[in-house]
Amino acid sequence: MELYPSLTQCAILATSLKILLFPAYKSTDFEVHRNWLAITHSLPAKDWYYEKTSEWTLDYPPFFAYFEWLLSQAAKYVDSQMLQVQNLGYDSWQTIYFQRATVIFSELILLYALHRYIQVSGSKKTAHAAALAILLSPGLLIIDHIHFQYNGCMYGLLILSITFAQEKKLLLSGLLYAALLCMKHIYLYIAPAYFVYLLRAYCLSPHVVYHIQFFNCVKLGVGILIILTAAFGPFVYLGQIPQLWSRLFPFSRGLCHAYWAPNVWAMYSFTDRVFIYVAKYLRLPINQDAVNSVTRGLVGDTSFAVLPEITPSQTHILTLLTQIPALIKLFNNPIPMTFLGAITLSAYSGFLFSWHVHEKAILTVIIPFLLLCLNDRRHLGAFRPLAVAGHVSLFPLLFTVQEFPIKTVYTVLWLIVFLVSFDKLAPASTRARFFLLDRFSLVYIAVAIPLILYCSLIHGLVFRDKYEFIPLMFTSSYSALGVVSSWIGYQVVYFSE
Amino acid sequence: MASINSPHKPRRKRKPNDYTSGSAQGSSTVDTLDDGTKRPNFPLVAFLWPAKGSVSQWLLLPCILMTIGLFRWVTGIWRYSGFQSPPMHGDFEAQRHWLEIAIHLPVSQWYFYDLEWWGLDYPPLTAYHSWILGKIGNAINPSWFELYNSRGLDDHLLKVYMRATVLVSEYVTYIPAIVVFVRRYIQQQGVSSWEGSIALVAILMQPATLLIDHGHFQYNTVMLGFAATCMANFLRGNILMGCISFVCALGFKQMALFYAPAVFAYLLGSCISPKINPVRFMSIALTTTAAFAALFAPLLLGALYDTYRGVPNSKLSEPPLLSALPWDVDSKSWYYPVLLQLTQSIHRIFPFARGIFEDKVANLWCTIHTFHKLHLYSSTVVQRAALAATSAAILPPCLILFHKPRKELLPYGFATVAWAFFLCSYQVHEKNVLLPLLPMTLLLAGHGGLTPSIRAWVGFANILGTWTLFPLLKRDQLRVPYFVLTLFWAYLLGLPPTSLSAYRNVQRGGLGLFAKFVHLSVYLAMILWHICEAFVPPPENKPDLWIVANVLVGAGGFGICYLWCLYMMVLKSGYLGVEMKSKVL
Repeated sequence: MELYPSLTQCAILATSLKILLFPAYKSTDFEVHRNWLAITHSLPAKDWYYEKTSEWTLDYPPFFAYFEWLLSQAAKYVDSQMLQVQNLGYDSWQTIYFQRATVIFSELILLYALHRYIQVSGSKKTAHAAALAILLSPGLLIIDHIHFQYNGCMYGLLILSITFAQEKKLLLSGLLYAALLCMKHIYLYIAPAYFVYLLRAYCLSPHVVYHIQFFNCVKLGVGILIILTAAFGPFVYLGQIPQLWSRLFPFSRGLCHAYWAPNVWAMYSFTDRVFIYVAKYLRLPINQDAVNSVTRGLVGDTSFAVLPEITPSQTHILTLLTQIPALIKLFNNPIPMTFLGAITLSAYSGFLFSWHVHEKAILTVIIPFLLLCLNDRRHLGAFRPLAVAGHVSLFPLLFTVQEFPIKTVYTVLWLIVFLVSFDKLAPASTRARFFLLDRFSLVYIAVAIPLILYCSLIHGLVFRDKYEFIPLMFTSSYSALGVVSSWIGYQVVYFSE
Repeated sequence: MASINSPHKPRRKRKPNDYTSGSAQGSSTVDTLDDGTKRPNFPLVAFLWPAKGSVSQWLLLPCILMTIGLFRWVTGIWRYSGFQSPPMHGDFEAQRHWLEIAIHLPVSQWYFYDLEWWGLDYPPLTAYHSWILGKIGNAINPSWFELYNSRGLDDHLLKVYMRATVLVSEYVTYIPAIVVFVRRYIQQQGVSSWEGSIALVAILMQPATLLIDHGHFQYNTVMLGFAATCMANFLRGNILMGCISFVCALGFKQMALFYAPAVFAYLLGSCISPKINPVRFMSIALTTTAAFAALFAPLLLGALYDTYRGVPNSKLSEPPLLSALPWDVDSKSWYYPVLLQLTQSIHRIFPFARGIFEDKVANLWCTIHTFHKLHLYSSTVVQRAALAATSAAILPPCLILFHKPRKELLPYGFATVAWAFFLCSYQVHEKNVLLPLLPMTLLLAGHGGLTPSIRAWVGFANILGTWTLFPLLKRDQLRVPYFVLTLFWAYLLGLPPTSLSAYRNVQRGGLGLFAKFVHLSVYLAMILWHICEAFVPPPENKPDLWIVANVLVGAGGFGICYLWCLYMMVLKSGYLGVEMKSKVL
């Protein structure tokens, strides 16, 4: 049975809108990617990770560099000027059209992945709705087609890998994930889930834990080795691995990425900020340097006035610790549904507790969760605050007046259309739902409206340019509350299944 | 009613076939396959498929309005006419300039100030509208509308503000008008509300309107909105409100005159049949006069007040219309400023001194001019010829409306008369094609409006109309939005060049063979034209070859649209004996 509107129809709708967005605001990420086109096209591979004419050095893994090299082969026929490393900030209309068009083209992978996902799903109706929600996701629209990045294509690969796992093609799934990891290392957040799942379901016997499937281990090992060699081999040969590593994992940057990512550390910073005023009364020691820095939160390095400093290794340990319970359940119950749940929970931990998390990383949580949330009404209940919080937290990415109506109207439209249809589609759960969570999400969603109004309109009118960090802090704290509560809510659902 | 004392209204029961109007054999939107599964007939139906039957209008309507709003705003991030093209810039500068003069000059100067630089040449309602927008804009950033110094300004935030004013003006006038019109029209025609929503999206996504107002930059939708309000009021039998809305349309842009004969014939007809009704006639006459008086009052009172304040009007040059008055006007008399303003505004609004057409426009005169130069004749001869041709072309639809002032004939009447004006009248712009397109597109909401035949005709007119705007849009560097919006609209409605579904006769209500041939050959001509225009440079002695070709094809196609509207009008009015509801051309 065909379902309407079909995936293709929605893709045509979305593409029309995306082409019309060509002249919209573009962030420095546009220049970042143009610079990478230039680097990969005009320099030998040995210079790729050393080149620093532009401040936007290459800091993605090699497969992404190869991808840029591939694009540059077409770019030279469009406007060869964009391929000059020296041409900083070059943005002729040909360059803009070309780069924007490559984002749209690379999303064909996402389209194929979603098509395949619907094909293999048991419940076509809910899978179709989830696929449309991902295809039309405001997160992808804001980040890829306005702000400028290539997430659509990479989430396509991730969904394809998840689909392979559901088809029991575990080798293919694992190798595709390894390749994806060599393209963008943000997917390391979910590596533990992949590791445990492949270990248990592919390398060990799903029935008897101690029965090692030796041949599978060899296949997987050799496959991963080939992929890693293809990606990092040349740079190992050139002896550039330490340099490459320092580019990929810049721990010299601060704990919070410009205050925006709505995670635990944003709440921690917010608490610290509040403590500055409370500390006087409690006679707590205050770090005066941190108080005096007016731009706090806008620059990378955040230091705390009252609360203790956080180190990178503390964040790693915390991330792993919070992932472990979900992984244990996955190890004991290695079925595709639990795997998807473990991916989502690993992504949650990575987003909530990691070092220097970008606000864009929320998509690593939202997109796997979108595939899950139509399981039953309890899943949907946990998803709702995330849907609102995750997308609202992306709003500060676009701060220009012209793009304000686009981001807000599109997101609100998406939330209405999909939350209402999900409500109709999600089957009732066999277990009791949590009254509290349902009420919470209603109140939570309602608060979003005055918050957005304040941050985008009222604050500007009252304070003009002063206290710019306040709207950012409100947005990220509000969103953090939503993300954390949906995380807790989903954990209850996951562990009680 | 039994529950007359109960505070609860009984919920209106949904009729079983409420969402699939039409006969049992199949509807115009849903195809039933052999195995009983249902399939949408064109993509727009598919997009509204989940809303079929169960979704409340209170949810569906906001979603539709948000979607079409997004497309409007996103069109607006492209360039506008005259962006960074000195010395005169374009329509954007004209509109911005009017905001500037409206807030900085005394009312009496509005129609006189520096006419060489985009002097005000629209009726007073536009001036008042500019005044309000100017006041708001001035509060945000005074430098945008500083007198004289702000000319040719292309500040990015100014652009955003001006785009927002177009969008807000449209959401205040045009969009509610279309929503109300569609709701009343589907009730009157017995169409389901779901199919009404499909028609609503198709109407509100009309590419020509989006491209001219949000791309090129103008406020046409405000005038079109008043005209649609007028029709909606007529549909409801609210004649007087209709008159006031029409005066507002005329008062915003004189181009609403394209509809005036239809309005006049309908009103006059409704005073005579079914019985002669002098009271109605008098009230119409009085309301219209009062509305006009109210429209001009602020301008004229402002002029009197300025005279009283001592703002000199001696420097204002006397308009030719005033000198042409049969008696001598004393420039000292108290009514002199009033006459001066009135005649000057009329002189500015109706520029008979300009040529018969501006640039190249797809109408009769430009077509004749291609083969036989019209410069050979004096402008009086040409004006008379235009008057005669227009009168001849509007006479049949007006006579029908006068004889049978029936509500279902209104959109046909408006469309036919507007096509007649577009094709035959004097001083027509290519943008004026929006006027006949609006009532013709509204037919989608009528009975059988989504059947292949009407869909094909409405689509044909719209796509041809947008195509004739291409040379203008190309000058504004709006080629990409032109292609995206036109092709997307064609895709939504399942029309060429994206699909031939409306031309396959699998069900009744399809097109006749001749119409198919005409449509498809015009579509083919449009495609070939785009290829030639893009890749083949015109010969040196004929630099305008492609534009002329565009005009010729356009004029031919519009002429056919005029004939179709007229034919449908005759058919619907029942002159041909049996009222043939389903069999159409």
